[in-house]
Amino acid sequence: MIGIINYGLGNLRSVLGAVEKLGHKGAISADPTTLALADKLILPGVGAFGDGMRNLTERELIEPLSEMVRTQRKPILGICLGFQLLAEGSDEFGEHTGLGWIPGRVKRIKTDDASLRVPHVGWNDFEQSRDCILFDDVPDPALFYFVHSYHLETDPDITVGTCTYGTPICAAVQSGNVFGTQFHPEKSQRHGLKVLQNFLERA
Amino acid sequence: MLRKRIITVLTLNDGTLFRTKLFTPDYRYTLNFVDAWSVDEIAILDVTRGETPDREKFFSAVANFAQTCFVPISVGGGIRKIEDVERYMTAGADKVIINTGALESPQLITDIASAYGAQCVVVSIDAAKRENGFEVMSHFGATPTGRDPAVWAKEAESLGAGEILITAIERDGALQGYDLELCGEVAAAVSIPVQVLGGCGNWQHMTQAFKLPGVSAACTQNIYHFTEQSIASAKKYLAAKGVPVRV
Repeated sequence: MIGIINYGLGNLRSVLGAVEKLGHKGAISADPTTLALADKLILPGVGAFGDGMRNLTERELIEPLSEMVRTQRKPILGICLGFQLLAEGSDEFGEHTGLGWIPGRVKRIKTDDASLRVPHVGWNDFEQSRDCILFDDVPDPALFYFVHSYHLETDPDITVGTCTYGTPICAAVQSGNVFGTQFHPEKSQRHGLKVLQNFLERA
Repeated sequence: MLRKRIITVLTLNDGTLFRTKLFTPDYRYTLNFVDAWSVDEIAILDVTRGETPDREKFFSAVANFAQTCFVPISVGGGIRKIEDVERYMTAGADKVIINTGALESPQLITDIASAYGAQCVVVSIDAAKRENGFEVMSHFGATPTGRDPAVWAKEAESLGAGEILITAIERDGALQGYDLELCGEVAAAVSIPVQVLGGCGNWQHMTQAFKLPGVSAACTQNIYHFTEQSIASAKKYLAAKGVPVRV
């Protein structure tokens, strides 16, 4: 079973829909006992970083999730805001501390090109910079759907690939059992579904 | 490179798909044209009239799309307060489209943006042509507001909107091309992505709209129905004209 972490933000249904379409069982849950039974975890989410951390804290999820991810090494996939929350912190509407499972900070997208509008919304080319099972059998480059105003500045060693929006944007990471994508695989049609399938079946 | 988006707009009246002409449900049709692999995004609007229409059939139609189309879905029609948004999101919306609700209470934009993020708020503006420029209309394009669409778009951006959807009322269902003057004015006024709607009758119209700085998405409603042409053929055309699209 795939545990989809419900912390009150984001379109969890579409993540569940994609997991089920791929033939896997999923459960949307905020209950640590249920999530502990999952083979793998997905941390979805859209919205603001501060709200995300506050909701995770209020639901007393941070400690049990850390135990599952850091100690038990359960594979986890962060998507969009869920991906950003994996980092050490963010400068979105003030300074916030993140989960700290991967290095790096989340900062506002800055481009010198006025024609590049923020939020960065739409389909952009993902270019792989190192091997990662998430992108097995996915063409390189491939188009994925992005929607975000902030981006992760992190260690190139964990960066799996980038897209370009005036500046290079970290679009996927892997650090051991911790995976993340800035784009929405559940909204990126066949390539997105393939990335999800790779996580579900190969991570 | 970020691609220009083609968004298919579906209008539902009492849970049934209708095409519209001049903002009136014209006739019902089926979804035979939605090419699930080519469409970049789907917008679904409830155009059911009445003070408190029953939206359950609408929400179940949205949920159906959300389960079969793995692309972003924006949903609107009848959102007046922040409490309304939750129902649209649980039906499967990734973003909500607000129009009259934002005009009546601009704070609604900020409230949704703080709760769900700016990328979740598409402010839709319906504009009518006037002797000197354009006027924003509310309530399905029926009520004049005395506001200028470019000024309102700018205000919506400062209140927290993530995208603007600009519609030329006179072009709805006319297939004569987007109102490039209107779309250009609005796109120039803001620094967030702008979607344009109303009047697309051929692929050349899309090329014209994408030449305007700031137009990131061309929305179409009726064109596939009339011509039986697919989104894939639109994209082939646009790519040949040098417009970056997802093919």
